[in-house]
Amino acid sequence: MAGDNPVLWETKVLQSRATEDFFGNSIRLPFFTLPLPHTLHQTLQSSTASLVVPASRTLPGCTPAELDTARSGASFAFPGCPIYVPAGVTLQTASGQLYKVNVPIIVTQTSGRPSALQHPVQVLQQLGPPAVIQGSVPQLSPCSLQAAAERSRGVDAVPQQLTVPACGPVGRKNLGNATSDGCAPPGWEHGVRSAALLSENSPCAHGSGAAFPSWAAPAGPSAEPALSAPAAGRRRLLGGSLPAAGPQGTPHHQVALSSQLTDDDINRIIQVDGTGDASSNEEVGNVRDAEENEFLQIIDAGDLKVLEEAADSTSSEDSTASSSDDEGPEVALVDEDPLNSGDDVSEQDVPDLFDTDNVIVCQYDKIHRNKNKWKFYLKDGVMCFGGRDYVFAKAIGDAEW
Amino acid sequence: MDADSDVALDILITNVVCVFRTRCHLNLRKIALEGANVIYKRDVGKVLMKLRKPRITATIWSSGKIICTGATSEEEAKFGARRLARSLQKLGFQVIFTDFKVVNVLAVCNMPFEIRLPEFTKNNRPHASYEPELHPAVCYRIKSLRATLQIFSTGSITVTGPNVKAVATAVEQIYPFVFEKFFSQIRNKDMYIRSREQE
Repeated sequence: MAGDNPVLWETKVLQSRATEDFFGNSIRLPFFTLPLPHTLHQTLQSSTASLVVPASRTLPGCTPAELDTARSGASFAFPGCPIYVPAGVTLQTASGQLYKVNVPIIVTQTSGRPSALQHPVQVLQQLGPPAVIQGSVPQLSPCSLQAAAERSRGVDAVPQQLTVPACGPVGRKNLGNATSDGCAPPGWEHGVRSAALLSENSPCAHGSGAAFPSWAAPAGPSAEPALSAPAAGRRRLLGGSLPAAGPQGTPHHQVALSSQLTDDDINRIIQVDGTGDASSNEEVGNVRDAEENEFLQIIDAGDLKVLEEAADSTSSEDSTASSSDDEGPEVALVDEDPLNSGDDVSEQDVPDLFDTDNVIVCQYDKIHRNKNKWKFYLKDGVMCFGGRDYVFAKAIGDAEW
Repeated sequence: MDADSDVALDILITNVVCVFRTRCHLNLRKIALEGANVIYKRDVGKVLMKLRKPRITATIWSSGKIICTGATSEEEAKFGARRLARSLQKLGFQVIFTDFKVVNVLAVCNMPFEIRLPEFTKNNRPHASYEPELHPAVCYRIKSLRATLQIFSTGSITVTGPNVKAVATAVEQIYPFVFEKFFSQIRNKDMYIRSREQE
């Protein structure tokens, strides 16, 4: 199910604003992060010769020296900056969980501070296409699978987060990210497109940063379909910008678009009146407008000109000064000339009937009308009449309109 | 015998029904709250607005279609319809006065003589239908004019047609037919004079 239409699913999830909290805020972690203990124990394979070099180049704030040591399999103290890990790296966390990375990834430590997360994004942008790209164009489905796998294990609060742009079926840890968007961004942001394989036996047991616990709940199977589509990441990535990793082909748009685009679809004013009516739009063709707008008048494109001229007459509505000069151009457009302010219709006579001091505030039993004869059966009221106040339990009135 | 040219029949138009469109969606609730002299029928989804000056009652739908009844002439109907649209415009709706059409005109006419309905029906078989048990009048339809006349034995005739002209033509057409059927010429002359005096 998830793989069927992950793009559609993702759209719906974001449109439903279920993830609003997570992605509307740029402070949140925009990308997928894996929780890691403070000390990252990495086991690098020999194939990861290029591990250190790109890291040092692209991560100005990081100390590549540590990476060098890590390369030899020593334990690695996670710096405060993201680390670029090329493909083929097997990461092992302090708890002994192993991650085998088949794709270049960037590992960032997030301690709940948004600023720390921005680095990898920026860095990635500078990063060229990863030297090692395995697999085909980003298959995010693997990532989703990881998410699901991890999700199933239960997500606990992890003290640290490891952002892994995993794109392969990996036993992801602690997805944390609420939606597929979370999964996708890490991969994108880190410029990794190929499938990242992380060993499945790496449950995410580590506490995550501040953002994680909030993400934990909605994550999981939902992440699966989202990841599976590269388009998902393209569209729904929040808080980050996709680095233009070349070969992946999928456009790496600015992630910032987020869910702002989807809100427009939902912000339609709902009409509560006149259901079942067919708007008079056969000639005009403003069906859509009629349904949307509740209070305002809908001006169809075809009638814009007429309405503008009609609006001119409304601007002088209170005065009986005629604007009969509007008639000429209007007739050409519509068969019937629009209403002119003073031409055909005059001011309503006696519009100030309500300007009175005699007021009755009450409840009504029945109000009845026959032609122009009205009968009022009122109850429980207060009447201010002639400057004096009266209270009544029942009142009957007759009036002629 | 045929005094049709002498008698001036007064055809009184009692009701003119017309429709027009505003070409814009109308918010009935807003009209009901802010408009003057309105009756909001929420269950059927329409608002009745009554006007004093041309005494008309307009039924307003949210789709923008408005039916105007109660006018006594076609011009008055149009005038009232425009005034109604004007008041809607003042409420804030972008109203365009379009598709004005008089759909029905109701007129009454009084013949100065009584009419024998059964004989009348027999002579005007295809057009006239008479069911005294259901309705005391003969229903005479003129297909070409799309007019319907209801002829009562008292000589009162009710005519409904698409416009005033059709109604007048229908009365002129029916007059020779009913003229033969009056009770008696002399008697009716008396009645005629009497009815004239009463006026």
